[in-house]
Amino acid sequence: MTMKEIGTAIRNTLKALRSGEFLLRVRADKYYMHIMYLFLLMWLTIMLSLRVDKTLAQVGENKVKIEEMRIRHSEKEAEIVKLESASATQERLQKMGSKAAMPTEPATVIKRK
Amino acid sequence: MARKSEIQDTIVGRDRIHVVMFFLSILFLVLGILITIKIVQIQTGYEIDPKVENLFRPSIYKHVDKPVRGRILATDGRPMAISAPLYDIHMDCTVRKQEFIDKNNAEAEAQWRSKVGDLSRALAAEFRDRSAADYEKAILAGRDKGSKYLRIKNNVDLTTLNRVKKFPLFKEGANKGGMIVDRHEERIYPYDTLARRVIGYVKENNRIGLESSFDHVLHGRDGYEWRRVTDKKTWIRDIDSASVKVIDGDDIRTTLNVDFQDIADKALRKQIQADDEVRAGICIIMEAKTGAIRAMVNLSRGDTPQTVLWERDNLVLKEVGEQGSVMKTVTLVSLVEDGYVKTLDQTLPTNNGFVPGGYNQDVHILDYQRETGRRDITVMHGFEISSNYVFTWLAENYYGKKPQEMFDHIYSYRFGEPFDFDIAGMGSPVVNRPGTAGWSKTTLGTTAYGYSMAVTPLHVATFYNAIANKGKMMKPYLVESIEKDGKVLRQFKPSELNSCICSPATADTVTRALRAVVNEGTATRLKNAKLPVAGKTGTARVVLSPDERGGSRDPYSDAYGRKKFQGTFVGFFPADDPKYTILVTVYSYPSHRNFYGGTKPAMAVRDIVDQLYAIDPEWRPEI
Repeated sequence: MTMKEIGTAIRNTLKALRSGEFLLRVRADKYYMHIMYLFLLMWLTIMLSLRVDKTLAQVGENKVKIEEMRIRHSEKEAEIVKLESASATQERLQKMGSKAAMPTEPATVIKRK
Repeated sequence: MARKSEIQDTIVGRDRIHVVMFFLSILFLVLGILITIKIVQIQTGYEIDPKVENLFRPSIYKHVDKPVRGRILATDGRPMAISAPLYDIHMDCTVRKQEFIDKNNAEAEAQWRSKVGDLSRALAAEFRDRSAADYEKAILAGRDKGSKYLRIKNNVDLTTLNRVKKFPLFKEGANKGGMIVDRHEERIYPYDTLARRVIGYVKENNRIGLESSFDHVLHGRDGYEWRRVTDKKTWIRDIDSASVKVIDGDDIRTTLNVDFQDIADKALRKQIQADDEVRAGICIIMEAKTGAIRAMVNLSRGDTPQTVLWERDNLVLKEVGEQGSVMKTVTLVSLVEDGYVKTLDQTLPTNNGFVPGGYNQDVHILDYQRETGRRDITVMHGFEISSNYVFTWLAENYYGKKPQEMFDHIYSYRFGEPFDFDIAGMGSPVVNRPGTAGWSKTTLGTTAYGYSMAVTPLHVATFYNAIANKGKMMKPYLVESIEKDGKVLRQFKPSELNSCICSPATADTVTRALRAVVNEGTATRLKNAKLPVAGKTGTARVVLSPDERGGSRDPYSDAYGRKKFQGTFVGFFPADDPKYTILVTVYSYPSHRNFYGGTKPAMAVRDIVDQLYAIDPEWRPEI
C-alpha cells in the first residue's frame, strides 16, 4: 500500500465518521451482537471493579471504627477496673467522709432449701 | 552484457546492504556501550528525578498490621495488664505560612493567628498544664521560628485525642491546622503498682516477669497486606496481592487474686512504710492444696532509705539468703520423720545452752533454766522459744555421725536447686553439705537453725505449704490458663514437686508445734487472729557485702556495729484445715535495731488473715 492509498483511506474514514456511516462501511452491523456483548462485559467489569473498591473502602473504614471501639473499650475497662479495687474504693469513701469501711466479718449466706 | 550488468547491480546492491549492516552493527555496538555505561552510572550513584520516579512507582504499598498484645488477667478475669495506644500531639506551626506569603495575604495570616488564640484556650482548658497565654505564645513563637514539630501534649488517650481534634484550627485537618498525631502502643496496668514485678514488662532488651516469660503467647503475629489507591484517593486492600492476616496475642489467666494482692500489699506497706530502716518487704500467699499463688508482693526502697516503696525487684524469687529460725521446721520434720523425735514432749538436757564442738552458747537457755529451775527442755518448748541450742543439740546428737541423712532430707524438700517456675530468674540455693568447700564441723548445727544454707523465700513458702498439705509438696505456679476471647486454649493444672516429703502423721505433729509457736511462742501476735494460724518466726542476720562492711571483720556487721536483718513469719491458716500458706519477710538496711519475725511480719500476717477471713467465701456462715 502506497502513501497515497493510506491517505485516501484516512480521508474516507474521516468522511464516513462525519456522515455517520463508519460502522456501516466496515460492516459492523454484521457483528452488532458481539459488540453489544463486549460492551456489556466491559460495563460489568468496570461496575464490579468499582463495587469491589467501594466495599473494600467500606471494610477499611469499618476496620478503623472497630479498632477505635476496641481502644475505647480497653480505656474504659482500665478506668472502671481502677475504680473498683478495694483500696481505691476505701480511699474514695474516706475522702467523702463516709464511715463505711471494709467488712471485718464475713457475710452471712442464707442457705438454699 | 545484460546478464553482466545485472550481476554488477546485484554486487553493488549487496555492497550497499553490507555497508548499511556494518554501520548498523557499529551503531548498535556504540548504543550498547552507552547503555552499559548508563546502567553502571545508575547503579553507582545516579539519582533519578523524583518526578520521574513517581511516574514509575506503582501506587501500592505494604501495610503491616501489628497484633494487639494479649491481656494478663487475674484469676477471676479482671484485667491486670491490657494494651491500648496512646498518642503524642505535635503541631506544625508553619502550616500555610508560605502560602500566605506567596499570595501576599496578610489578612489570611492574621485570621490564622487569631484562631491560635481560640485553640490555646481550648488546649489550656483540656490539659490544665499550661495557661492559654503560654500555649499561644509557644505556637506563635514556633510559627515565627519555623517550628514544624512543636510538642503540644504526650501520652493522650483516644477519647481526649478525639476531643482535641475538634478544637479550633485542629479541626481543619493536618494540612490547614498543622496537627500531627503520633501513635504508640502502651501497656496499661489498671491496678497501678499492684503485682507489677510479677506482671513485669517488655521494653526492648529489658524483659521481666510474666510479660517476659509468656511473651511468645502474648505477642501474637504480625500481618500484612498490600494496599492500593482508588480513583477516589482512598487506600484499600489490593485483593490481587498476597496478604497475611494479623493474629492477636492470647490472654494469660494468672492465679493472682486482685483482692488478696491488694490486702497483702496494703498490710505490708502499713508495717514498713513509715520505717526508713526497712529496705524491703515481701509477701506470698499460696493456696495449700494446689500451689497456686494468690498474691506475691515485692516492695523495696532501693539503695537509699529515702526512696519510696516500689515493686523494684522480685525478691521472692531472687533473694537467696540464710533464712534463720524458720528453717528449724526443716530440722524438726526430718527428726520426726526419721523417728528420732517420737513425741514433741521428748526432752533433752539444757547443758547451760552449750553444745560442744565450737558452737556459741544460747543465752535463752540460761534464761529458761533460771525461770523454770529445770535442767531439761522439751522439743516443743525449744521450738516455741526458737532455741538455737535445742536444734543444734538435736542435729548433732542424731545426725552428727551421718550428716548426709539430714542433707538428703533437705534435698528432698527441694532446697538444693531452683525449681521450674512461671517466671524466670529464680535464685540458686547454696547448701553446704558434707564434702563441699563450705562444710565445717559446725555446719550441721548451724544448718539446723537456718544458717549455712541459703535459699529463696519461695523455697521456704513451698516447704511450709507441703506441711499444710500433709506432706505433699505442690509446685508453685502463677499461670492457670492461656485463653483467646474467653475460650481456654491451654489449661495448666497443679503439679507436685514431691508427692511425699513426710508422712501425714509427721505433718500433723509439726503443725501442732507450729500452732504452739503462735499460741505460746514467738508469734503470739497472731494468737487472736480471726482464723487459727500455725507458723514459725525467723530472724536472720544478713551477710554484708565487703562495701557495706567497711573494713569490719565480722561478715554480719559494719564498722559501726550495724547489722542487716531479715525477719520472717511463715505459716498457714486455718491451722486445722489449711487453705492458704503465707510468708512475710521484712529486710532492713544496716541498723542497730533488731527486726524480728514476730513483730512487723507477724503483724502484717495478722492483718492479712483477718481481712481474708472477712472476704473469702470459704468462711461465710450459713443460716
